[in-house]
Amino acid sequence: MEEKPSNASRRSLVHHDSNKSLLQGDIRNLWTTATLSELNVNLPLSHVSECSDLEGRRSSYLKGSVDTDNVDWEWDGGLRESLPGDDSSQQELDERTLMELELHRSHSLGSVPEGGDDDDSRIKAERSSSSLNVFKQTPHRAYWAEQQNRLPLPLVGLMENEVLEILTKTLESYRSGIGRNHFLTKQLRRSIEGLKKRRNKMLQVSVN
Amino acid sequence: MKLKQGSFLWYLYLDKIYCLLSVRNVRALMEYFHLLDVHHKNTLNDVVFFHFLNHVTNLTRPQIMMIFDMLDWNAMGEIGFDQFYMLVCILLSHQNHLEQQFIYRHSRPVFELLDLDGDLRIDLENFQLYSFLFNIKKQELNEIYQNFDFTGDHRLNYKEFKLFTIFNVDKYQKRQKAEKEKEEKFLLKSKVSQQSDVFTKKEHCLEKKI
Repeated sequence: MEEKPSNASRRSLVHHDSNKSLLQGDIRNLWTTATLSELNVNLPLSHVSECSDLEGRRSSYLKGSVDTDNVDWEWDGGLRESLPGDDSSQQELDERTLMELELHRSHSLGSVPEGGDDDDSRIKAERSSSSLNVFKQTPHRAYWAEQQNRLPLPLVGLMENEVLEILTKTLESYRSGIGRNHFLTKQLRRSIEGLKKRRNKMLQVSVN
Repeated sequence: MKLKQGSFLWYLYLDKIYCLLSVRNVRALMEYFHLLDVHHKNTLNDVVFFHFLNHVTNLTRPQIMMIFDMLDWNAMGEIGFDQFYMLVCILLSHQNHLEQQFIYRHSRPVFELLDLDGDLRIDLENFQLYSFLFNIKKQELNEIYQNFDFTGDHRLNYKEFKLFTIFNVDKYQKRQKAEKEKEEKFLLKSKVSQQSDVFTKKEHCLEKKI
């Protein structure tokens, strides 16, 4: 038989965890995490539970969760507390923060069965697996592209538009100078088409 | 010569002291260069180069082709990223009115660019051709050759050119200082006049009351 932790101790655990995570991490990380996790909001509920529970462990984790209103209150309180003394030294995404947000999101989805019992270690394991799933399941394409290129997306957009204009004028010069069928003209045309496709893809991603 | 407002180059920041771009800016510029490099040779040919400069500046066709010839010193018909970077720095220094500072900081590369014949000397004619890049007027150029051509061959060698850059930057700094002082004096005057206005108004009010 597993021992049921009292509601108060659970609350204090959540409070402690959220405070710790919020104090450790930069507030901007929270924003980023929230954006990442919010992508799943529109997914059907069945899919979400599939995503977050590959081994059928999600329900047990949720069973062990505490009263939703309390958690929300605790989380918001922690956030408010962290704002003035924001420690921006930690740049990495805080996994614990992610867990809290994931928990918060799952509550807001309304997929929380009440009651049940679980020990703390199991809760932690489930939370970490669910946070990893956030990374796996919700790749925000524009966000990751920006991270990989290390150039701000508006700047890339500006650059590509400008280059496209320049290359279009160049293509006209090529056509009048060396002819339509010259391999340089063809190569330039292909480059312009590639650039246009890339730009359209970027636009689609930003719209979605 | 002016940069087109809102163009990509317009957003780059040139360091005012060293007249160089930051690493982040250079990386962005490199990305831009690679987008322009449609033939994947890490170079830009004269046609692409012309349309690029025509798009981002108000330079005329002969001026653009002259710049291309200057940068393409080995007559390959193409320019690489190094030359492109140099050109962008020149454009930005012109845009930010840092031409004198730029020539002083990068005297060797500028000298090599202006030495079109490769005989380690700069002709007055060649210098005059590219004076628009560094915002040097004809009168100033004649004075430079009068004051710094110590050998008397109507050409500047590197030492003479370097002396000119030092003298030029010194003049520029003095001018800046004078402008600052003038601004400060103007501010002080305006403050004093405002205060005296307030004082006279108060006096006027008092007189009325009496």
